[in-house]
Amino acid sequence: MMTAIEPTGRLADVLSTAKVLVTCGPGGVGKTTCAAALGIAAADAGRRVVVMTVDPARRLADALGIDVDAKKSEPHEVVGVGAGGGALFALMLDAEATFDRMIVERAGDADKAAKILANPVYRSIAGSLAGAQDYMAVERLHQLHDSGAYDLLIIDTPPSRDAIDLLEAPDRLVRFLGHPIYRALTAPSRSFARVTNAGTSAFVWIVRRLAGPRLVEDTIEFFRSLSGMEQGLRQRAADVAALLRDDSAAFVLVSSPRAEAIDESVHLANAVVDGDFSLDSVVINLVHPLPPPLVGAPDAVEGPLADHIAYHRELAALASSEREQMIGLIAIADGAPITEVPLLDDDVHDLEGLGRLAALLVR
Amino acid sequence: MLAASGPCFQTRGARRGFPDVSRDERGARRHGQAAGGARGTLTGVQPAWVTDATVIVVAGKGGVGSSTVSAALAVVAARSGADVLLISVDGRPGIGPLLGGAPLDREDRVLRTVPAGGKGSGRIRGRTIPPQQAFADYLELKGISGVLRKAATAVSLDSIAAATPGLEHLLVLGKIKELERDHAADLIVVDAPPAGHAAAFLRSASALQDVVANGPVRVQADEVAEMLADRGRCQALLVTLAEETPVNEAIELAYDVEESLGLALAPLVVNSCWPDRDGLMLTVAAAAKAQGAKLSAANRAALEASADFGRSRLAGQRRQLSRLQHALALPRIVLPRFPTADFGAAELELMADALCVPVAVQR
Repeated sequence: MMTAIEPTGRLADVLSTAKVLVTCGPGGVGKTTCAAALGIAAADAGRRVVVMTVDPARRLADALGIDVDAKKSEPHEVVGVGAGGGALFALMLDAEATFDRMIVERAGDADKAAKILANPVYRSIAGSLAGAQDYMAVERLHQLHDSGAYDLLIIDTPPSRDAIDLLEAPDRLVRFLGHPIYRALTAPSRSFARVTNAGTSAFVWIVRRLAGPRLVEDTIEFFRSLSGMEQGLRQRAADVAALLRDDSAAFVLVSSPRAEAIDESVHLANAVVDGDFSLDSVVINLVHPLPPPLVGAPDAVEGPLADHIAYHRELAALASSEREQMIGLIAIADGAPITEVPLLDDDVHDLEGLGRLAALLVR
Repeated sequence: MLAASGPCFQTRGARRGFPDVSRDERGARRHGQAAGGARGTLTGVQPAWVTDATVIVVAGKGGVGSSTVSAALAVVAARSGADVLLISVDGRPGIGPLLGGAPLDREDRVLRTVPAGGKGSGRIRGRTIPPQQAFADYLELKGISGVLRKAATAVSLDSIAAATPGLEHLLVLGKIKELERDHAADLIVVDAPPAGHAAAFLRSASALQDVVANGPVRVQADEVAEMLADRGRCQALLVTLAEETPVNEAIELAYDVEESLGLALAPLVVNSCWPDRDGLMLTVAAAAKAQGAKLSAANRAALEASADFGRSRLAGQRRQLSRLQHALALPRIVLPRFPTADFGAAELELMADALCVPVAVQR
């Protein structure tokens, strides 16, 4: 059983006040692991927390009790976490199921919903389109928020480089719904037949030419069947955008001290700030420990002592180089507190490891 | 499992003369079984696997260094006199400067020429393939030009891509297929988007085969699928780290690309491994005593601090390498970790050297 953590640091302040927390960062920096550890820290501080991950590594999912193959995205409680009334719930986003649910909720009648769900274009968009996944993550976030069952929602975004696709998803959908092509395609058939807009007819002509008439019909039918839902989708997109820009929403940028990760983090930090979101905290994860320096050490050229000296030299060189790189990240944090988290001597993949990481994040 | 070649870059014809390794023999499918076959002695500067196919798609989870491995692979081939084209699918800009050229863009540019001993010189060209450009090229190829093409591009790829999921990826793969067919280079190295995305990228052709029954898009999808399944034309090189999550994802990706796409796998590259140092297993005091060396208390403490960390990380690394060995019957190349957080030109040359070491045959 882990001991409860008493948060005192500034990341701890964010955890105790935020209602929505978004983690973002480049790939390979331990972002999902940090999101889970932040969930533990908040639950141990007495809050009811739900962590949603988009694509958790299998062992992390196991640690959180998520069944990756189960294809259901209801939150369930993580046993053995939480203190003082706090609890941690976890779920994995199932974009397809979320999309289906949204269609069923908004279609109005069951026949219409069934028709959309069976459309082949809908099926491939719901299942495979990367953009659909981003939008569904946002949709799910809103559903969880509306449920009122949690004090804090933590959402882990898929790794990205230049921008945070997930944040742009609602705006992108609204833009798409306003696109003349979409409007022409969703107009009642009679006026559609008379559409003379050059762009639209070129669109239909090209898709037909490239992909065959069946796809065109399926696509048009799909868009038409969505048409009654447009207003609702717009409203939802606007609600989510407002939720993520509210004072109670916090963004935590997770990075590592590698030059490449830091370059990408700079872009991400800019994307957060430019998007009018609030960058509240920066975590530099996986920092190699800097060993104390050797002073006048003997020159062992071979034997076991040479191994010790060589390893010390390499570790010290890497750790120093990382510390130089980290200066770049401090510059872009723009006043947001920075938490440095050492690379642990073993990879984090169980609740105990997450607990150790949680303690380091809020110390 | 790979027969060694001579030092020269093989021509396409000569390559066919190699004893071919059947898919089953080196496949990921055979858990922990002997790959069988003889290992040749490598005498040349370039291992045979580099010339097994014209297109090598380099893929790995974000942060494992697949871009730098792509660049190092290009260096290896160019050193043997090959004309190499490096394509960065999501346009990682830093790769051009790493190779001594300008940041990559859509123009095919020479990044550097590489002296190849008595064989003249090789060179490395680089470019990105933005989906927009692939789309315009594709329309041109299909004889859709003039006013209509203008109208089509004005419609923007966004709307067409929304109607034809996976089209963007397919257009990029289709362009790569055209380059391969036109013998645009001796070797085409493709730096794929990070895993998760890599699987979606490679699967775009077969996904579209499900949705699109006929028309040029179907033809394009069929031709791309055909190239991916032909081991003499295209292979995938997976990159991972000796850490829990990257190893899991590499195993999943290996099964995914090989079983669902029939894409042949080049040796597995395990990046950033610390050299094994047996001396670390002794305490610092014992190591010093064994060699009759004297250490100050401060130096002993410094060495003990680095060794504590090192023992644990090395044990984890050995554990992960052994997991890989049991899960994937693939030849394996282990690349060293460089003691810097900023990978530069010097490290790139060293990585290229390390890619040329004889490939360890997996049990």
